[in-house]
This record gives sequence, structure tokens and C-alpha cells, in this order.
Amino acid sequence: MYEKTQGEYIIVVDKINKTFPNGVRALRDFSIKVRKKEVLVVIGPSGSGKSTFLRCLNGLEEIDSGSIVIDGIPLDQRKENRLEIRKEVGMVFQSFNLFPHLTVLENVNLAQMLVRKKSKKEATETSMELLHKVGIPEKARTFPNHLSGGQQQRVAIARALAMKPKVMLFDEATSALDPEMIGEVLEVMKSLAKEGMTMVVVSHEMGFAREVSDRVVFMEDGAIVEEGTAEQVFGNPKQERTRLFLSQIL
Amino acid sequence: MTPFRKPSPVVDIGLFLLVVAGLSVLMFRGTKTLGYNWQWYQIPRYILSLEQGKLVAGPLIKGLMVTFQITGVSLVLSFCFGLLTAIMRLSASFAARGIARVYLELVRNTPLLVQLFFIYFVLGPIMGIGRFTCAVLALSLFEGAYASEIFRAGIVSIHFGQWEAAHSLGLSKLQTYRYIILPQAIRRILPPLTSQAVSLIKDSALVSTIAVYDLTMRGQEIVAETYLAFEVWFTVAAIYLAVTVTLSVIINMMESKLKVVS
Repeated sequence: MYEKTQGEYIIVVDKINKTFPNGVRALRDFSIKVRKKEVLVVIGPSGSGKSTFLRCLNGLEEIDSGSIVIDGIPLDQRKENRLEIRKEVGMVFQSFNLFPHLTVLENVNLAQMLVRKKSKKEATETSMELLHKVGIPEKARTFPNHLSGGQQQRVAIARALAMKPKVMLFDEATSALDPEMIGEVLEVMKSLAKEGMTMVVVSHEMGFAREVSDRVVFMEDGAIVEEGTAEQVFGNPKQERTRLFLSQIL
Repeated sequence: MTPFRKPSPVVDIGLFLLVVAGLSVLMFRGTKTLGYNWQWYQIPRYILSLEQGKLVAGPLIKGLMVTFQITGVSLVLSFCFGLLTAIMRLSASFAARGIARVYLELVRNTPLLVQLFFIYFVLGPIMGIGRFTCAVLALSLFEGAYASEIFRAGIVSIHFGQWEAAHSLGLSKLQTYRYIILPQAIRRILPPLTSQAVSLIKDSALVSTIAVYDLTMRGQEIVAETYLAFEVWFTVAAIYLAVTVTLSVIINMMESKLKVVS
């Protein structure tokens, strides 16, 4: 079997490259290592490759070259490896992607029953615990379209957590929310970070980054331009490009 | 509906009645010039008759039962062929896509009648299949091809994010189709699927050409005996109409119960 961890690094990305069919080079020899329990925030302009990087981590995008190893499992062509990684990596999307024909509870239960092979009873128990944790247990029997955006995103987080992943990926999780709902979702993400979940977060929420991130990475044109703690990157950026980007969004 | 203003109901219904009245007058005039002697009283015995105090089905109802049998089996089979073909067309495998494509092009570019004759006169003797099976096979293959394009449209219309979410949770392709995609897709395509089902019922009339005693065949029989072409064909058409309208109404009622807002 595999070494479950490579030292304390749970994600090891080595010189990955990705070019889209339309010729756009999304990732250039991109390398990064993420520790267990680390909260990594990735910022950058649109087209910088940050979402692509995230999506490569759970196999939603294929890399052209380079290697990705998550929790000791290489993300290669072997089905067992790919499946194992999909189980260990949870993802939260900008557009929630809840299943509209299922109730909230069924949404959170489904993967537990189909992939982790839990019984309905066990799954429901876990689901209700998680719905409590994200603050909306009373909505278990409602359909997603009756919930607000913030509530839907919290259900999406619960759904991803139900698989007990080792890593959680957030792809601009709050970018599609109305301002008054961003806070409730960030609170859930913060408590998750405090509990020690390894998180890779693509976000524009600087406040969140300052409060809970261990490291901030600024990407542009498919490569890392600057990295450091939130204070370093936001307060004292070394690169001109970083300064430029920050001046545009702050 | 469009944001344009609705016409006034009085004008609307008035125009409709005018058109209906106009058509009826034309028809009436037409038959009058023919000098035809309507014998509607002859028809009921071919639908139902009273024998020794019991209600017995006449030839038309017997034919309708055969039509039901054929269309019943064909509906199920064409649904299966359609779904399978759609999934094959969307498959990553070149072979699967190729086979599906060949089947679709063959079936959609030749007339149903020709396909029916081919299956009955050529495949029938070779493979030893009987009349009824030939009829069902021809209908299912034909309608299945059109159904598959409807299924494919429905599947493809499901937001790609649903696939991504399912993938990220670790679901297999089959699981994603079964629990996430198909339940949503089928609800969306119920209207065109309904009209496919109606087409199937109407196209089943063609099996009369290979001497299957369905509703249309019985109609031909009765006309041969009695020469009451006008009355018989009106009646047969009305029976088909009753069946297809009932089916449409039932499916529409199901549709509103199954509505999913996404």
C-alpha cells in the first residue's frame, strides 16, 4: 500500500502544466506543497489559473505533465487511485451545485450511501450532525430551491464534509452570494479551519484570509508570483504585480 | 409565454368559432354534392354488441386491444432503446458512439413502412420471428431512434455542475446517471417524450400492412364487407384520437406532480 503521508505534506504538486484546447496556458510548471491542517488561500486575477489548479487536485481537470500526490496517493490513470482521491478530497463550488430534485437531507446522504456504503440510518445521523454544525438542521426536509444562497452553500459544505474528506477545496465559495450571506458561510469555513481541516481556498475575501489562513499565494498567468503569510502578502507585498492586483481589489 | 398582450377573449373565441363553423360548412357542402347516404346506425355493432344478454366486444374493440398490446410493448422497448442509445452517443468510447450513430442514421433515413417490410419479409424468415414480434421490433427500433435524440437533449441540458458535484463526491458515472442526471433529465423531456409516445400509437397503424389484426386492419375488414368507408374511418380515427388524448392528459398530470425547480 502507499505511505499515507509524505512527511507532513498532504498535498504535493510538482511542476504541473495545463493548456486548454483553445490554446490558453493555465498552469506553468506549477509546484506547491501543502501541510496537513494548513489553510492555504489562493488569490489572483481571473484567468490566473487558480481555479484550474484547484480543479486539478481532485481530477476535475487533467494535467498535461507533472505530478500530484494527495495523502500519499498519486493522481494517475489508475481508477482506484482516482476514486480514492475523490473520496478524500471534498469540493465546494461557487454555484453550489446542489441536487435540486433531492431534499437537503437526501443531498447530504447520497454520497455516504452510494460511495461510503453507509446505511440510510448511519448516513442520516452523520448528515443531521453536519446540518447542525452548519446551522440549518431544520431545513433537512426542504428542497434546495427553497433556501437562500447562503443556506444552499452551507448545505453544499455539509454535503462535502459528509464524506469525511482529508482535504477541503473551496472554489470562490462566496463569490456568488449576496453580501449579507457571505458572513454565515465564512463562519462555517472559519470553524472548519479551527478544527484542523486542511483547506485550499480560492477566494477574494481578504478578511477571511487574514483571520484563518496560514499561507496566502498570489497567482498570475499560471504561476505563483508571491507567497507568504496574510500580513506579508497583503501588508507588505514584495512583487510589483502583487501590489497592482491588491490595489485593484482593496 | 411572451410578454405581448393577450387578445381580447371575445375576439379570440369568436374567431375560433368562425373557423370551426367555416370548416363544418365546407364539409357538409362537400358530402351533400356527393349525394352520400350516411348510415351511422350501422357502426355501433362493430364496437360493442349484445349477445345473449352479455356485452361482447366488437371487431373494432378487439382490434384496439391488439393495438394496445403492440404499442404497450413497443413503448417500453423504445424507451429502453432510446435511453441506451443516448447514453452510448454520449459515451467516451468511440465504438459505442459509432454503433449508436450507425443505428440512428439507418433508422432515421428510411421510411418506417420500408423498415417494417424489411423486418417482416427479410429478417422474419431468416431469424424465425413471428408477425407480432416483427411489428413490435420495427416500431421499437424506429421510435427508439427518435426517442434517443430526445433523451440526449435532456441529458445534455443538465447543468454541467451537477456532474462536477457528483464527481467530487466520488460517485461513478453509472451512479451519477442513475441518481442525479436521469431523474432530472426525464422530468424535463416529458413533453417531447409524450409526443413520441403519441407518434408511436399512430404509427402502429402501419402494422396492418403485414396483416396484424390491429384497429386499422379491422377497420379495413369492415369497409371491405360493408363499403361504409366514411363512417368506419371517422370512427377509427376518433378511437385513435381518444387513446392519444387520454395518454397525453395522463402524462401532463404526472408532469405537474413531478415538477423540479432548479
